[in-house]
Amino acid sequence: MRLKFKWILTLLAALSLQFSFAQEKAISGVVSDNSGPLPGVNIINKSSKVGIQTDFDGKYAIKAKTGDVLVFSFIGMEDKSITVGAATKMNVVLKSSAKSLDEVVIVAYGKQKAKSIVGSVATLGSDVLLKQQATSVMTALQGSVTGVNIIAAGGMPGENPTIRIRGTGSINASSDPLIILDGAPFNGSLNSISSDQIETMSVLKDASSTALYGSRGANGVILITTKRGKFNSAPVVSLTSSVGFSGNAVPLHKLVGSDRYMQLNWEALRNTNQYVNAQTAATAGVNASNNLVSNLGYNPYTAVKPVDANGNLVTTEKKWNTDWADLMLNNSAVRKEHTLSVSAGSEDTKYYFTTNYLSQEGNVVTSKFDRVTTRLSVDTKVNDWLKTGVTMFYSTSDQNFPSQSGSSYQSAIQWIYTVPSIYPAYRVDGNGDLVLDGKGQKIFDYGATTGQALNGNRPTFNNENAYGSLYNYKIGYKRDNYTANGYLELTLAPDLTFKTTLAYDKYLYDSYTYASNEVGYASNVNGRVSQNRNVTTGINLTNALNYRKTFGNHSFGLDLIQEAYKFKLDALGAQGEGFLPRVNVLNGSTTPSSVSGYTAEDRISSYLGRLSYNFKEKYFVEGSYRRDGSSRFSPDVRWGSFYAVGGSWLISEENFLKDNSIVSDLKVRGSYGELGNNQTQDADGNALYFPYKQLFETGYNELDNTGVVLGGAVDPNLTWEKTASTDIGLDFGLFNNRITGTVDYYNKKSVDLIYNKPVPGSTGNTGITTNVGALRNYGWEVTLNSNNIRTPQFTWNTGVNLSFDKNEIAQLTQASFINGNKRWEVGRSLYEFYMQEWAGVDPTDGYAMWYKDELDGSGNKTGAKVTTKKYSEASRNYVGQSSLPNVVGGLTNFFRYKNIDMNILFNFSYGASVYDSTYASLMEGFKSSGRAVHQDIENRWQNPGDITDVPLLLNSNNDFNSQSTRFLFKNDYIRLKALNFGYNFSASAIEKFHLSKLRLYFQGDNLWTYQSHKGIDPEQSFAGATNSRSYNQRVMSFGINLEF
Amino acid sequence: MKNIITKIFIAAMALFMTVGCSEDFLDAPVPTDAVAPDVIFTSREGVEAFISGIMRRFRGQYTSTDSAGLNSIFYARSLKGNDIIQSNTWFNFDYANDNREPTYRRTSFSWNYCFYMINQANALINGVEASDLAASDKKELSAYGYALRGFFYHQLVLEFCPTYSADKTFPAPPIYTELSLTGGPMSTVDDVYKLIVSDLTKAVDGLTASRLGKSYINKNVAQGILAQVYQVMGNWQGAADNANAAYGGNPTAVLAPASYRSGFADISNVEWIWGSAQRTDQSNYYWNAPASMADHFTTSYSATYINNDFVNKFSATDVRAYFVRKSTSITSTSDYRYWVTRKFTFTFDGDNAIIRTPEMILIEAEAKARITGKETEAHDLLYVLQKNRDVNAVKSTNTGTALIDEILLERRKELYAEVGVEWFDAKRLRKGITRTGNHRIGTAANLTADDKKFYLKIPQAEIDANPFIDESVNANR
Repeated sequence: MRLKFKWILTLLAALSLQFSFAQEKAISGVVSDNSGPLPGVNIINKSSKVGIQTDFDGKYAIKAKTGDVLVFSFIGMEDKSITVGAATKMNVVLKSSAKSLDEVVIVAYGKQKAKSIVGSVATLGSDVLLKQQATSVMTALQGSVTGVNIIAAGGMPGENPTIRIRGTGSINASSDPLIILDGAPFNGSLNSISSDQIETMSVLKDASSTALYGSRGANGVILITTKRGKFNSAPVVSLTSSVGFSGNAVPLHKLVGSDRYMQLNWEALRNTNQYVNAQTAATAGVNASNNLVSNLGYNPYTAVKPVDANGNLVTTEKKWNTDWADLMLNNSAVRKEHTLSVSAGSEDTKYYFTTNYLSQEGNVVTSKFDRVTTRLSVDTKVNDWLKTGVTMFYSTSDQNFPSQSGSSYQSAIQWIYTVPSIYPAYRVDGNGDLVLDGKGQKIFDYGATTGQALNGNRPTFNNENAYGSLYNYKIGYKRDNYTANGYLELTLAPDLTFKTTLAYDKYLYDSYTYASNEVGYASNVNGRVSQNRNVTTGINLTNALNYRKTFGNHSFGLDLIQEAYKFKLDALGAQGEGFLPRVNVLNGSTTPSSVSGYTAEDRISSYLGRLSYNFKEKYFVEGSYRRDGSSRFSPDVRWGSFYAVGGSWLISEENFLKDNSIVSDLKVRGSYGELGNNQTQDADGNALYFPYKQLFETGYNELDNTGVVLGGAVDPNLTWEKTASTDIGLDFGLFNNRITGTVDYYNKKSVDLIYNKPVPGSTGNTGITTNVGALRNYGWEVTLNSNNIRTPQFTWNTGVNLSFDKNEIAQLTQASFINGNKRWEVGRSLYEFYMQEWAGVDPTDGYAMWYKDELDGSGNKTGAKVTTKKYSEASRNYVGQSSLPNVVGGLTNFFRYKNIDMNILFNFSYGASVYDSTYASLMEGFKSSGRAVHQDIENRWQNPGDITDVPLLLNSNNDFNSQSTRFLFKNDYIRLKALNFGYNFSASAIEKFHLSKLRLYFQGDNLWTYQSHKGIDPEQSFAGATNSRSYNQRVMSFGINLEF
Repeated sequence: MKNIITKIFIAAMALFMTVGCSEDFLDAPVPTDAVAPDVIFTSREGVEAFISGIMRRFRGQYTSTDSAGLNSIFYARSLKGNDIIQSNTWFNFDYANDNREPTYRRTSFSWNYCFYMINQANALINGVEASDLAASDKKELSAYGYALRGFFYHQLVLEFCPTYSADKTFPAPPIYTELSLTGGPMSTVDDVYKLIVSDLTKAVDGLTASRLGKSYINKNVAQGILAQVYQVMGNWQGAADNANAAYGGNPTAVLAPASYRSGFADISNVEWIWGSAQRTDQSNYYWNAPASMADHFTTSYSATYINNDFVNKFSATDVRAYFVRKSTSITSTSDYRYWVTRKFTFTFDGDNAIIRTPEMILIEAEAKARITGKETEAHDLLYVLQKNRDVNAVKSTNTGTALIDEILLERRKELYAEVGVEWFDAKRLRKGITRTGNHRIGTAANLTADDKKFYLKIPQAEIDANPFIDESVNANR
């Protein structure tokens, strides 16, 4: 009966709309917010498309017909739509879009009002996303939300950052958070998502909020919700286009130039002759002068002996002087991005269509990322009890990814820091003159010209030329991602709904490598092509029954959910050798050297329930429980049970605070729960799908005979890793929510770690993956937002967020063990450096010294330290430094003056240390021949009595640059991560172009960086290790955004 | 009302269609790139596939270019002597005789790799013995496992202990004959040799001359391994008999001097009794020392140089005197880069020798030189090889120690850079190695007789994880 009544009302409303057409009148009024009238507010009549702005007193006047919809919009305020009725005077109050407890937040399997949340959820809206050029959307979380620590992937666009939510909770299982895209686990590549298609990203951090993803929520969950249309809205077309340039975000290490290089190398040779081989100083100098060129293999100078017996340069005239960094790094890399979106909605159907094109060149020459993504969402109300909708998403990208990080010979950054400027990029003859090919072109010098005594054999990276490899090799990745996500929602009864959601995604990953037939590492087999194609298919089905009921002051909610997840990987690869020049597809190979292929499947079946209750929207409690079965574990132990409970109290609703002039919002909340992790993986981070099965592995063929070997030892009872998580939080708003904030304390303990327990190597296995060990992460998170100034003309908002994370190993199977330059031990963190301590340089002979623990007669440490010049005697100790920062965070300032606005985001990290092995290699001091050196080497010891921290130069074996605290540096930094400066044209100015919005803006990313250790990007790795990573980019773009 | 029924019906259908049977849903995924044990031990073909897999593991990209299988262990031994020089690249620390601390890669690789192979051998022996295969198959296939286990225990005891004649009670690597996930206690040198001799004796007894290919073990190969073991133990009669049986007893029939200059990369060479074979699709690429280190005429590391003093020991007409100068621009003979060898040709499908006939001939010669009354036979046998290698060879008049030294020098000339012959001989005969000539790292890397640097310390990871082994195991190492 009531339903029928509603129908009639709607019909009447529609009819009245029809009747009242064509009666245009002038509507006027004042637009204000709670601080007073607002000038410059855009007002658009959606029907006539006429737009105007309020004047300085907030007044407006616009022509409209009854039934027209006026949209009031203003930056920092929520849009307000008002349908014109009988009145001609309409005063409008806009609400600040700053967070308040009434805001709707996307949470697990649904939405909640902020005030009802009992767990810890951080949300990032499109307003923040659009003020950064996040090629990988995840980087936008950095500095914007608490509890998330992110390390960018370096200078290759399209690579995804490493993300840790509330610390590292696993040792051998994956610590990556679960990504949920529009309600379903996302299996594709994160870089296929364009940030401007995202409405919000929610980071679920504690047990309560992630519990419904309990099977994989232990490392936190990131929910990505993409944009959708709105019912009853006129079509809006939005176009955004930006073009920019990028270069290194921070300067490189400073290297010694050719002239000084030759002189210093002479000095190293002389020192070795004099101090190691006991020659007289004069003889040592003469021999050093004689041997310098043969030591280097190349001579860029016009003189045969460029350095004389006294170490002076005979000439500075050179035939070449190679600036590898200038050749190989792109300091004017182009970035282009264009977006078109269309959205609209009728009464019962809405849609959103968007397409985005991005092209970005990387830090290293020839590296490039091109991507097109298209997304369409349609939602429709079929009738009063059935709703349905679908999202379709297709993304294709092409990444040219020359080797630029790591330790392969072709690795660009390593090359810049290893091969000095005295080696030529192009081949030269014995006299140092260029050698040209038949067409008169220069030939890349690979430093391996057989039979050429001089200028033909480079001692470092022999038979390679990383600059040439950028052109002679090809490494490319192609990714195609197709996602279809549909739902059907039935209203079974007024408070009871049933929703079924099916998400399907297909991801094609093609990796391709070509190594030249003429030069380099595969030239002896005339080139090699390796191509791998992985097709992954993910299907996720969710059936949810939701019941909501309110009786007076009591509100209940019940969700019963069934979920099935199915993942399949189908891998195929081929490799061939023997190619003609310029043929680089497998068809051209003469020797097909390898084929490979396999499939793997992963499934999870889940049943879950959530019960929530609140009294007067003041006291909230919530509990959830789920059971998950994973195909990665044996049938006996595959089911895991997870649960969470939480509660919150809205203190500000109590009578004693209700009308308090200072405290406007105050809420305490707490949660506890246990979550799971089944992400078993090998040492390289590749998923292990059957970690509990003892098998014989195929692929070990011996010539023509099929071969298998016994796989590693397994624990047949391997099961879920569990994380018990406690969260206590406080949300507050002061002075009518002018100041809002959140404080959280968390304590996460992961137990039964999926851990590669060391077993004695003598058993034939070095480890077995089993459930042992425990890790604890705990810390504080603080967020503060403030509207500092809010006048009609000028707005200034500030936000700051801080995360303090601590890590502790709670249980191991053995007292301790060494893991690289760390030692893992109960009570310590995973990140504390444990290494030899540097004791400086002995002024008498210039040799390096380290500390060793003094031992008493019975071999116990006395606690005192003595110096030693023998590196092998140096003691390793905890050195009081950690690669885990004390605090990471961000600072945002937003300014608006009339039509001009500016957003500035800084992010920072304090208290971490980094072991710079690149710098260590640059401080080798000519130990091995022909390697680049840092300018700091100029401070070397030269004469007895010299007080310095740099040992004497020796061209002979020594431990001077071996691992020690000499190369361990504080790695604090502050980065101007994003700056957005824009101008919005007033509606009156653009009206005649039939535009509703026109914005011009400048966007700068990583514009400025302060760092305590220079030469490398401060973002390296959680372990505090460097790996010759290509440099993060500084991007400066200009853009335009228009809507009509 | 009808409406509600419709709705409930649709909801129920949706649930039914999707939930299905949960356990079946989870049971469906199965591994596609691995097989269960019952496939292996139910047929001779299955066991042979397992044997093939184990043989493939003689080489592999394990941890690093210098830890790539048996070849890496052999090449590291080669570099510890006086004859070969390594530039400052991979194997650098082996060359410096400095790669033996508990946390170093050589230490952990030699330990873990040999035990990995021993564990595979144990799985083979136990799987075959528990199977229902025919008795004759069981005997031969388990003999294969014994041969593997004996071979790798011998490599282990060579790597981690003083030589047999120095100290039989010295703590030696634990002995495993069953699959185990918990560590065992250290054994003694004597225990390990008893196991090795027992295993290899069973292997010689059970194996036949036939095999799946030259990279596999047959009776001759097992006899060759046993000859090496007896050579260390000083069982000269056993060494002579097994070496003779391994090469067949007719030296000229199994020597092909021309093949010495054909690159040492072809397992079909008549001189090769046992090798590790590669193919383009089964390549260890640049990890294949010695060839990847020693060949200066193709794209690779170009890291191996030859000591002047060693080059000078060859006569000009010796087919093995296959040395060239690195570059005419290197004029000083004190420059370590003066000489390089052309013995090895590096290709991605090049094979590695493990046991060659000249080694067996020289074992027989050495053994006979030490057996009273057989010295003449020994001298004749040595001369057969010398004449074969150098048409101008003149038979020496050496006897006694001088003859034995001549045999040992012949072993170095014949086998250098292949199997660590100089180190092997110095170690078992308890002599030092003094570096001379143009070494890059000279006296600092000298070895005295019974030097602790002849063996490695026990890996820290083993000490940490094995309840029977504590830090004291390295106190005297």
